[in-house]
Amino acid sequence: MIARKVERILADASVDGGRGLGAVINETLYHERRRLQGAPDDERSRADGAFHARVRRDLPHATPARQRALVREIVARYVGEITGHFDPRVYRFATRVLPYALSGLMQRFSPSALLGELRGASQLDEHLLLEGEVKGLQGVAALGTVILAPTHSSNLDSLLIGYAIYRMKLPPFLYGAGLNLSNPSPASSCTTSGRTRSTAARPTPLPRDPRKEYATVALEGGATTSSSLAGTRSRSGEIESRVKLGGAWAPGSRVPPQPACGRERRAGLPVVPCTISRTRWCWRRRLAGRAQLPPGDRQVPLRRGRRRVPPGAALVDFLRGIAGLDLRVHVRIGRALDPFGDDVDVGRATSPDPRGRPLDPQRYLLRDGAVIEDPARDAEYTRALGRRLVEAWRRDSVALPTSVLAFALLDVLRRDLAQPDLYRLLRAIGADTPVDTARVEAAVDGLVAELQALERAGRIQLGDGLRTTDGRDVVARGLRGLGAYHATPVVERRGAQLVVLDADLLFFYRNRLEGYGLLGAPRLCPAAGPR
Amino acid sequence: MIAVLGAGNWGTTLADLIASNGHAVRLWTRQPEQREEINARHTNEGAVPGLRIAEGVTATSELGEAVRGAELVVVVIPSQGFREVSSALGDVLAPEQVVLHATKGLERESNVRMTEILSQETCARQIGVISGPNIAAEIARKKPAGTVVASRFPHVVELGRRALSCPRMMVFAGDDVTGVELSSAFKNVVAIAAGIATEMDVGENARSLLVTRGLAEITRLAVTMGAAPLTLAGLAGIGDLMVTCASPLSRNHRVGVALAKGERLPEILSKLGMVAEGVHAAVAARDLARRHHVEAPLLDAVYRVLYEGLSCEQGLAELMTLPAGRDVARFQSTL
Repeated sequence: MIARKVERILADASVDGGRGLGAVINETLYHERRRLQGAPDDERSRADGAFHARVRRDLPHATPARQRALVREIVARYVGEITGHFDPRVYRFATRVLPYALSGLMQRFSPSALLGELRGASQLDEHLLLEGEVKGLQGVAALGTVILAPTHSSNLDSLLIGYAIYRMKLPPFLYGAGLNLSNPSPASSCTTSGRTRSTAARPTPLPRDPRKEYATVALEGGATTSSSLAGTRSRSGEIESRVKLGGAWAPGSRVPPQPACGRERRAGLPVVPCTISRTRWCWRRRLAGRAQLPPGDRQVPLRRGRRRVPPGAALVDFLRGIAGLDLRVHVRIGRALDPFGDDVDVGRATSPDPRGRPLDPQRYLLRDGAVIEDPARDAEYTRALGRRLVEAWRRDSVALPTSVLAFALLDVLRRDLAQPDLYRLLRAIGADTPVDTARVEAAVDGLVAELQALERAGRIQLGDGLRTTDGRDVVARGLRGLGAYHATPVVERRGAQLVVLDADLLFFYRNRLEGYGLLGAPRLCPAAGPR
Repeated sequence: MIAVLGAGNWGTTLADLIASNGHAVRLWTRQPEQREEINARHTNEGAVPGLRIAEGVTATSELGEAVRGAELVVVVIPSQGFREVSSALGDVLAPEQVVLHATKGLERESNVRMTEILSQETCARQIGVISGPNIAAEIARKKPAGTVVASRFPHVVELGRRALSCPRMMVFAGDDVTGVELSSAFKNVVAIAAGIATEMDVGENARSLLVTRGLAEITRLAVTMGAAPLTLAGLAGIGDLMVTCASPLSRNHRVGVALAKGERLPEILSKLGMVAEGVHAAVAARDLARRHHVEAPLLDAVYRVLYEGLSCEQGLAELMTLPAGRDVARFQSTL
């Protein structure tokens, strides 16, 4: 697989504007030197520096054959950095131990409790609710390659998805994630077959996004993958309306060259949306500022923030995150889509048109009878797939009491404080802002009614208690969730009032319900009138 | 080869324009008499009186025959029949074929756009829209005009421009399909209001006030539904609004004039003999404004004049006594 990738990139590099390999290698070295200037002084950076120094020494005297050899070395080094390393022993260990460990962690993070769990008390199965089109996913997985596209907020998701995949009796998946997937826990106990790591921090011309290339080669080779597409949830907690799908299209764009392999080819490469919904979320204070950036500026690589974290803190951070999980996590599987965003008919292993007529998806790439490369067209097909994924993520997200309380409370404050924009609103809320509980309960009642209407329309899922209970109960449940995990409670009850202690976090939780048209909804704020 | 589906006045005019540019055109019509007239005499007197249709146009009543092998399919069917024809089109269309539509309006009850119907009923993905200040009668008389071809796919825009561009037709490119479709649907409601104002002789100041506030309302609504604000300031937005509100040839404007004369809607539509998209768009605009919590008093007043018996004078008085807020809306992402 690596050799194939090297050949592909070598072929691209040799025709790169006719500059020749020497110029391409030089440019790569230049970008690498700039990258290393801002990198931490660790073992990896020192090894990279030594490697590039050697290439720099060799290059002036290199013959064309030696230049090709240098390109192979550089590319192989990058590929080695991003490829997954599947170890069956780790896989067996993780699938045996992880359910007990996670189960204990999801209830409370204490060593004694953990040991108790490992002795065989409750199982993770009780906490991880697998919902939706599980059989559909199993069906398309039986046909061949599948891309699972989960919503993604934190490193915990790799564990949860890994275990969900195991529980659905699917083969181990290749898991794509950023370079930040370096916390020891997920890295070592991942239940998936291996992980690819983004090298987006390396703007070098030579490998030209090796992760996409690697994903393409891996999928052509028949791997199943779970790719946390960048930006499925923004730093502010909402589902992004525009998803970065480079990783998803890379394999999709290779549909035509795939060998004709019967049923799998007819269904294309199915992309299966998946949502993870839970009551509490780990959230990083240092990202608060970024959370409020306008859409498009939110895709700040987490790694940039990570450099300021002291060694060892990452693990503590991670364990704190695990401890923050509530008792129930909803992992909901959506309907399989083909790379063009059409539903896949699992039973017939085809990808029909919207009215069920059979069609050959490859024909979307034809012009005058031949497959034509058209990056603008393909990018639009990818955006269409992205829109379908966003629809599915919104439809399959599970509304929970913490988000309902946060949304209703912030809406009451929005109307009370009448600030012209979000920044001023959050600043005006500040800390220790009281609101009458009765008003919030009334707003929650209205919001739940709106959410129930949305669920009837098939636009969202409702979680525990939101179908039957009243505003008072939802507020109580929400307060338990918002008050227990975070160092400072987000909201707490003081007599007949609710006091906001952390407006940024309140905004973060509130955003789980962004994108459903709830802002200004009549039942939420009946007296407010239209905008 | 290019297929044009629909041989009404705009479909016939477009087919003639495209064929005049040297393309072979298959014009689909359900009516055998119309087909025979076009093929035998190269006229379509019922739809476009006086037009000598270009030689390159061949009429057919077989949808498959019209569409099969066409590089570009242009759908020019009134909005109320659009889904039915799209559904039939889905049986014969191939995934690689490009589809443009030139229908201004939204589907009744569902309020979906025409490109959404095409996506729901056919395998077509490379879809776009033709819209702008295009009064068919003027274009049929070879008068100069401009239009917009909007699609997310540059190839679709390119094909549209190649088909339509000529010294008497400037074709501008766009990628905001939602904005173009919504502005071309909603402007018809404002045109009815303009027709009412014209007949009421309220003066040019008041007419200008009405049209501008109408534009503000349809912009607010369209932007809430996903349009880019500047699309409404373009040829398919304000350009189309100007011609629709000013021209006595506009059907929607004529509806407004008749309403101000005190005529009843069924009588007006019967006299018109053609579809006035604004009559249905008024329902859609009111429903959508409510659904998206957008303030749109002018659109609401037109709806009430059309369907709830509000008198034109009373409607105008209501609008003039509304509290005046900001002139230009601010579009920002905030809570």
